[in-house]
Amino acid sequence: MDVLTNLLHGFASALTPQYLLLAALGVTLGTAIGVLPGIGPALTVALLLPLTYNFDPTGALIMFAGIYYGGMYGGSTTSILLNTPGESASVATTFEGFAMAKSGRGGAALATAAVGSFVAGTISTLLLTFVAPVVARLALLFQPADYFSLTVLAFMSVTALVGKSLLRGMISLFIGLFIGLIGIDVLTGQPRLTFGMTELLDGIDVVVVAVGLFAVGEALYVASQMRHTKEEILPVNTSVWMNRDEWRRSWPAWLRGTLLGFPFGALPAGGAEIPTFLSYTTEKRLSKNKEEWGHGAIEGVAGPEAANNAAFSGVLVPLLTLGLPTSATAAILLVAFQIYNLQPGPLLFQKSPELIWALIASLYIGNVMLLVLNLPLIRIWIKILAIPRSVLYAGILVFGTLGVYSLSNSFVDVMIMYAIGVLGFIMRRYGFPVGPTILGVILLPMAEAQFRRALSISQGDPSVFFTRPLSLGLLVAAAGALLLPYIPVLIARLRRKPVDAGRVVFGEGQED
Amino acid sequence: MTPDDPKPAHSARALFGLRLAALTVISLGGIILTQVSQIGTGAGFIVVGPRIFPTVVGVGFVVLGLLFLLRTTVLLDRDLVAEVTTEEATTEWSTTILALLSLVAYASLLHPLGYTLATALFFPVAGRILGSSRLRRDIIIGLALGFAIYLIFTRVLGVRLPAGLLTGIL
Repeated sequence: MDVLTNLLHGFASALTPQYLLLAALGVTLGTAIGVLPGIGPALTVALLLPLTYNFDPTGALIMFAGIYYGGMYGGSTTSILLNTPGESASVATTFEGFAMAKSGRGGAALATAAVGSFVAGTISTLLLTFVAPVVARLALLFQPADYFSLTVLAFMSVTALVGKSLLRGMISLFIGLFIGLIGIDVLTGQPRLTFGMTELLDGIDVVVVAVGLFAVGEALYVASQMRHTKEEILPVNTSVWMNRDEWRRSWPAWLRGTLLGFPFGALPAGGAEIPTFLSYTTEKRLSKNKEEWGHGAIEGVAGPEAANNAAFSGVLVPLLTLGLPTSATAAILLVAFQIYNLQPGPLLFQKSPELIWALIASLYIGNVMLLVLNLPLIRIWIKILAIPRSVLYAGILVFGTLGVYSLSNSFVDVMIMYAIGVLGFIMRRYGFPVGPTILGVILLPMAEAQFRRALSISQGDPSVFFTRPLSLGLLVAAAGALLLPYIPVLIARLRRKPVDAGRVVFGEGQED
Repeated sequence: MTPDDPKPAHSARALFGLRLAALTVISLGGIILTQVSQIGTGAGFIVVGPRIFPTVVGVGFVVLGLLFLLRTTVLLDRDLVAEVTTEEATTEWSTTILALLSLVAYASLLHPLGYTLATALFFPVAGRILGSSRLRRDIIIGLALGFAIYLIFTRVLGVRLPAGLLTGIL
């Protein structure tokens, strides 16, 4: 009962008044920012990063977990009432959620999202509690070759499964790899691709990339489409609660969403995007009230929202045990760890168990707080939605600039961030997903270091990637991810049926 | 037909933009590959030098860029063109460029004017560019944001921000 003892210790430290306050602050700030249209959890965490420079690591991470949960929940409110998903993981929620709000059942939609998030969050944190230590022990067996193959799998699954075109996904990934390469090579101390700029020697910070792509890119996009966006906030006239029938229909959807969300989040496949869409289609297929779909079926909100929340705990598994961030938000959380000189990975469980377990305990606490805070305060959050777009995006630009400027008071950093913002705008204009770019930036250092380490150990023999069973298995899975979207087409061709859809698509690839 | 409906001119511009994007990707690959030769290989015995990954990325850019060029010319991706054409019809480039210019000005003024004044100036300007017509409200919000952020960050959070012209006053 090693886990339980550790968890109890975690609760003991997370339940101190100081940490409780930080968790409450995190959940509240996260919801307030997450409600703002166009801001997803990744950007919320990136923008609030400077707030925690003065905290101790445990306190800061507890606050971030709260911000993340709050950001996710706030995003669902925006999706339901405004039809504006803050990130790709809440796109699936908008379909039925906005339809429910239009037919005057916004209150029930918000309630099923809130309770569903709580149920999914609690179950998936429970899974995390028991799965993470096991994976951390397994992770000790990982050798450099396996780590490299794991990053390849992460690259391939995000690029191939998300977004409309594999080619554009690959270009997006390579843009990320390019940005990740800039700076001094850690192994040899040689500057690479710095174009003679001394400011680039330290490389480009993930926060700079995330704020550029998500905040500035988004603001420029909004500016470019300004005359053509109409705002429509749907009022919530009913109470934010569910009737007996709605409860009965929500329960199974929550549970199925959780069971989809956690494992998909834990796989190196880019977080919550795929499970939310899978949950949406599963619920639609299983529903007994098919005629309701498109007009506001509550299962279509309950399932994806649960999947979204469960995926977050799932994402924490590779992040904490392998040091492998698989979503933009996880990458920013990794930055938060690194600010405190903590390197997530198998050794973190041995070196700083008190921090890990306080963090896991605070996930349970954050979940409860979210439920207690959000249902009564929902009307205040709805008011935030009424902030005019112009003020909102001017504010996002102010906070985005602040987030990057406060890193090192550098004009050049801010300029690089704006340049990346222009890049993000152009990518969005021409249909390139930005998710793979972020992943490329984050994972490139790990991929390259492990690749070189593996070949040093094998003395230059590249077969090491194929002879280790674990590494081979991961590479085969990566190849499978590339082929998976084409399988329905292939089957249709073999049966000589007309091909209607091209490749299967999971999500839009606009994670932010 | 409303003025916003896509016209042939929009479709032509969409195609041009996409082809330009493809060419940019290819030339970026070329630039990376020329830069690779300038990367020192470092002293001592290293199995995989610092040039391998940049080379792979450079070659990747060229290959992917060429494939994308094919999709915008010979093997035209009609869905993509239709999508970009719709956006082209609704895009206001002037607003986008003004927004970007205001950002650059903001960043350049952060140090000389100080965080507070630069923010107080930027907020109403950006609000105006993004379509706000209530100048007085925006000026007040800008001032409040500038002062509040400066004081909270420097006094409470211990993060350094430039005081600029207000050095000694704040």
